[in-house]
Amino acid sequence: MRKKSFRPDVDAPAWKGGYSPYDIIKEGTIALVVILVLTLIMAVVFGSPDEKAITVKTWSNADPIDFATTALSELNGTSVSAAYGAPYNNTPGASQTMGPLKLEQWVGVRIPINSAKDFVISPLKSLPDQPVLDQQLKTWSAASTATKNTWLKSYAKASTNMKIVKGQVVINATNAGPVPVMINDLTQMARSGALDQALVTGHGFYTTDYTKPLLFLADSQYLGDLAQKQHLTGEQWGMMNETGSYPGQAWLWLYTFWYQIPPFNSSSSGDALVFATMGVLSLLLLFVPFIPGLRSVPRKLKIYRLIWREHYREIEKV
Amino acid sequence: MAFLLSFAALVPLNNLGHYVQWHFLEISVANLMVIVLMIITFVVALLAPFPGRRRRKENR
Repeated sequence: MRKKSFRPDVDAPAWKGGYSPYDIIKEGTIALVVILVLTLIMAVVFGSPDEKAITVKTWSNADPIDFATTALSELNGTSVSAAYGAPYNNTPGASQTMGPLKLEQWVGVRIPINSAKDFVISPLKSLPDQPVLDQQLKTWSAASTATKNTWLKSYAKASTNMKIVKGQVVINATNAGPVPVMINDLTQMARSGALDQALVTGHGFYTTDYTKPLLFLADSQYLGDLAQKQHLTGEQWGMMNETGSYPGQAWLWLYTFWYQIPPFNSSSSGDALVFATMGVLSLLLLFVPFIPGLRSVPRKLKIYRLIWREHYREIEKV
Repeated sequence: MAFLLSFAALVPLNNLGHYVQWHFLEISVANLMVIVLMIITFVVALLAPFPGRRRRKENR
């Protein structure tokens, strides 16, 4: 029988020297106590990020014109969420692909969002005792798509001169049908906080599905500006950052790195490409012990000799 | 409690952070400090002698 050759990365020669006692429980306990004490001290000294939650109410009060403009984009279907594609809606060509793999399309529309209906019409319909608004909503529902488009175009054209006077959205739009009343009433609803509640979807006792208010907020310029200020956008390596001066998720550096360079930062399927790249790299890391050459790196770097330098010094003496 | 709150205010971190930018690379000073501290800890862990080294030598 042929003797198997020694493989330096996999095989280890049997140890024939002496042994020293080693208490791993003691070491683990010391490490745990040290980390616990450090955590407590740092929590007391630095605290933790405590940004106030941004709601539709805070947004519409801070920047009512941005709110009204975003509401219009939801109504005329030009907002990001209106044309996002899966999982919110069926927008041709919007889904991300990985070569021939149409990942988002395969997942399909799991959380159906019709931005005009979900963000504008339905919340307005939920307002009680609003005879004028009810009449305008009936006019909207009865109108043809062409008429609605004419109203929306007229309103959008005039919206560049939109003003807020005594809390009301004032716009000099002619031939805009019920749109001015709808946008103004939605703005009032938002500023009172009622829209936040109307947008939260509840499937049970607890109302914890914030998908709709978050999507609505994400369509705004207001949220984008706040994110920019705090260095949280994708172009600013935002995945790694935390609000304020707190350290963030530095370990996500590689994930966010890809978003800064081509083709990832210019592709419409950037997320899918980054996901695939990180998947391949994670597999490489997982299978390091089985990859010839890569598995030899620690042996060739010889950092272990630095850690166990005393042992190797003694061996050399012998 | 009030004492702890005033103690925490000694190092306020809720103000806007500082960032270092070099070409397309951008990193917050806080993250940079954490990374530098991790590297220092790693180097110290490599170079610091094992505790109880002398005791073991004497026992031999």
